[in-house]
Amino acid sequence: MNELVLALAVNGLVWGLIVALIALGLSIIFGLLDVINVAHGDFFMLGTVGGLVVATSTGSFWIALAIVPLIGLILGAVIERLVIRPTLRQASLTIVTTFGLSMIIQEVVRATYGAQPRRMAAPIDGTIPLFGINYEIYRIAAAAFAALFLIAFFLFLNRTKLGTWIRAVRHDPETATSLGIPVTLVTAFTFALGTAMALLGGVIAAPITTVDFRSGVDILPVCFMAVIIGGLGNLQGTVAAAIMLAVLEGVVTSFVDPTTARIASLVIMSVALLVRPHGLFAGATR
Amino acid sequence: MTVSHARVLGLTVLVLALIAVPYALPALGANFWVNIIAEILIWSLLAASVNLLLGYLGLLSFGQSLYFGFGMYGVALSINAWDVGFWSALAIGMAAASVMALIAGVLAVRLTWHYFAIITVVFSLIFYFAAMSMKWLTGGDDGVSFTPPPVMNLGGYKLLLTDPTAQYYVILGIVAGCFALMALIVNSPLGLSFKAIRENDRRAALIGINVYRTRLIAFVLAGALAGVSGALFAFFGRYASASYMFYHVSGEAVVWAIVGGASSLLGPLFGAGALIIFRELVSNAWEHYLIAVGVITILVVMFAPRGIAGSWNDLLHKAFMRRSQGADPNKPAAVIEEPR
Amino acid sequence: MTASGTALSLSGLTKRFGGLVAVDDVTIDLESRKLNAIIGPNGAGKTTLFNLITGEIAADSGRVTFQGRDIVNRKPHEIVRSGISRTLQIKSVFGGLTVGDNVRAAVLAHERIMTPFRPVSSYRAVAARSNDLIEEVGLSDHRGALASSLSYGDVALLEMALALAAQPKLLLLDEPVCGMGPQETERTVAMITGISRHTDVILIEHDMEVVFDIADFIMVMAQGGILATGTAAEIASDAKVQEAYLGSPEDD
Ligand SMILES: Nc1ncnc2c1ncn2[C@@H]1O[C@H](COP(=O)(O)OP(=O)(O)O)[C@@H](O)[C@H]1O
Ligand SMILES: [Mg+2]
Repeated sequence: MNELVLALAVNGLVWGLIVALIALGLSIIFGLLDVINVAHGDFFMLGTVGGLVVATSTGSFWIALAIVPLIGLILGAVIERLVIRPTLRQASLTIVTTFGLSMIIQEVVRATYGAQPRRMAAPIDGTIPLFGINYEIYRIAAAAFAALFLIAFFLFLNRTKLGTWIRAVRHDPETATSLGIPVTLVTAFTFALGTAMALLGGVIAAPITTVDFRSGVDILPVCFMAVIIGGLGNLQGTVAAAIMLAVLEGVVTSFVDPTTARIASLVIMSVALLVRPHGLFAGATR
Repeated sequence: MTVSHARVLGLTVLVLALIAVPYALPALGANFWVNIIAEILIWSLLAASVNLLLGYLGLLSFGQSLYFGFGMYGVALSINAWDVGFWSALAIGMAAASVMALIAGVLAVRLTWHYFAIITVVFSLIFYFAAMSMKWLTGGDDGVSFTPPPVMNLGGYKLLLTDPTAQYYVILGIVAGCFALMALIVNSPLGLSFKAIRENDRRAALIGINVYRTRLIAFVLAGALAGVSGALFAFFGRYASASYMFYHVSGEAVVWAIVGGASSLLGPLFGAGALIIFRELVSNAWEHYLIAVGVITILVVMFAPRGIAGSWNDLLHKAFMRRSQGADPNKPAAVIEEPR
Repeated sequence: MTASGTALSLSGLTKRFGGLVAVDDVTIDLESRKLNAIIGPNGAGKTTLFNLITGEIAADSGRVTFQGRDIVNRKPHEIVRSGISRTLQIKSVFGGLTVGDNVRAAVLAHERIMTPFRPVSSYRAVAARSNDLIEEVGLSDHRGALASSLSYGDVALLEMALALAAQPKLLLLDEPVCGMGPQETERTVAMITGISRHTDVILIEHDMEVVFDIADFIMVMAQGGILATGTAAEIASDAKVQEAYLGSPEDD
């Protein structure tokens, strides 16, 4: 097989793991709150901007990696309280409120950080030879971080009390309430966690992408594709679909132009939605 | 005076004010605003197409920009390629949008709720990316420009869009015609079946309504409306661009419809009007006025889910002490139920 | 048995939800011109049986023969148009519309009127039929009220009007008096017996008193299957039925 194709596949895998992290955030928010969070891409963008700003002001990328997701957790909690919770009764209208939120976030970033796209130096220098090209070591590290956080997320969900509560509320909020689980708190935490995961993905991706107030608009459709093809609310499915799509897009891009690849993914997504509209999530724990 | 008198009075004032615009505004030294009002009228049709689906069928489309784009390109490409006249170009734009809506709708209206919103945005994204890359046809981001043909050619006298007053009245006439048609439709048997489906699609099927076909009809009608909006916008700007097919344009239309008041016929006009006027007033002084638009959007959904038109109706009912059984101020204008 | 004497004929009708067989190989002919009732404990599969007949859920196997034609797995609106109407166990109407508009929508749908450019109010005959139906179920005082503002009993009556608007040959009623007070129950029961004189009726009912009072023929369901069939007297003395009911005492 062509070595370049393999290299592109690896690059796709790197992106896929990062997208999986972000899409997982979108997926748990949807699964628990029934909120289609149109601002999720902008949370990712906030992560890239936050990563760049904190890394340059403190001089260390690793500090950014540690604190930006925590900021995301707080931000998510605040947004949940102010914007999401008051409109939860009107499930579909949350698309509209989060669209408003998306405008606010983008415009605030443009006002403060600026409209100029920037690049960020990789925190780990150097390249290694990989399938005939010199591949940046940081990209490998980014994939490893993303994989690590994915594993941590599933461990959290399956092994901790809070994780069990989240699963219980996902499954059946009424029973969860009757079991004495603080549903409102769990819901708020889930939104905050989903937000933090998008920001985390943003920090990890910051050194390998352009840091731009518009970047959320590009990543949002990709995340939605992963969530939908994986099955709405099906978390493992989301991860699998994100990786599969990114690898596929990476490979396909070596044969056709990126736009065609993007269109192909969107068509796959439509088919998934149409063929198994409710079956997509009916198979999942919900 | 009763509520319905007040309504008729309000509508009369609105129509007279819109007719007076090309004379009144320049007299006030605000020439520039004539074009802004024309733009509002055009965009209000796109918002109305969202409203037809959201307010009358309970379907939230996040992809109306697709049909807007087809309307734009229908006009621009047919004029450039075949040198067609104004009305033919308008009809081609509308037809192109309707056919696209029919094709997309056959698939999309199988879904409801969130899934409908997602599939409509996905369809619009597919064609947005395609249009962006097919530069030879669409001109991509830069678009294609054209010279609008005369609207009418009456024995030597030509009615041209280059005359701002003539252009304004052409736009006003077409937009008013569309709203009048909508008013007829929502009060017709077809409109009642729309509302029945919005309220309870299971029961609608059980009284013998073909829910799928009725939704499809509404989807095509909404596509046609968006197409007319796009066609007019192409005439207004003398060009068509793929950038208008992006989902942000759809999102803006949704915001206008909701701020204006979904399920009220003229709500989209008020929503588009309020937010575009706001933009014109504020954007010069404050570059980041979109922050305020975002905040307004969220606040409206939170505190006035029936939008401007709904609040106005509530006000009328309060003022004339004739509470209709219909006005529950806390009920959102658009009820979208989770599938059972 | 001749086709004209059969209101509805089911054969081998089966529906599974995962491992659960909600309707299990149900075969029966229900006679015309009789008030047929289906009883059985909660979860017996009665509502699911109705859902299969009206095409709202797809049957795994079996046939539903109505007026000589197999209608199984046809679309709900087609089945309504062929002459089967129903009411739902959880009463459901068009909440945001007035009582008048609810019924007008149903009458227009029945007449297949879908014109886009003529106001509903200009259809005189439709208005007249709607008013008759509203009067028939006794909701004349609420014509202009929003359906969502009606009491539960009135919603059930409105639902009945919606079902009758289609001029059904067969009317399926799923627990029509559930949630009604004694007076409303009495009025509704009288209405049902009145309807059953000119329309075939299949009635699911929990209230034994009502069933034994008005039903000509009773079918008892348990765990998806038919436990017993017969007249009220036969059912009341059936040992299997007693066991089924005593074994799982009613919770309402
Ligand atoms: N849509 C469905 N999905 C899964 N199980 C269902 C569904 N509808 C009904 N059931 C199950 O089928 C069984 C029969 O239900 P139902 O027909 O409503 O009983 P009845 O009306 O006799 O009380 C019940 O165990 C119920 O939980
Ligand atoms: Mg039941």
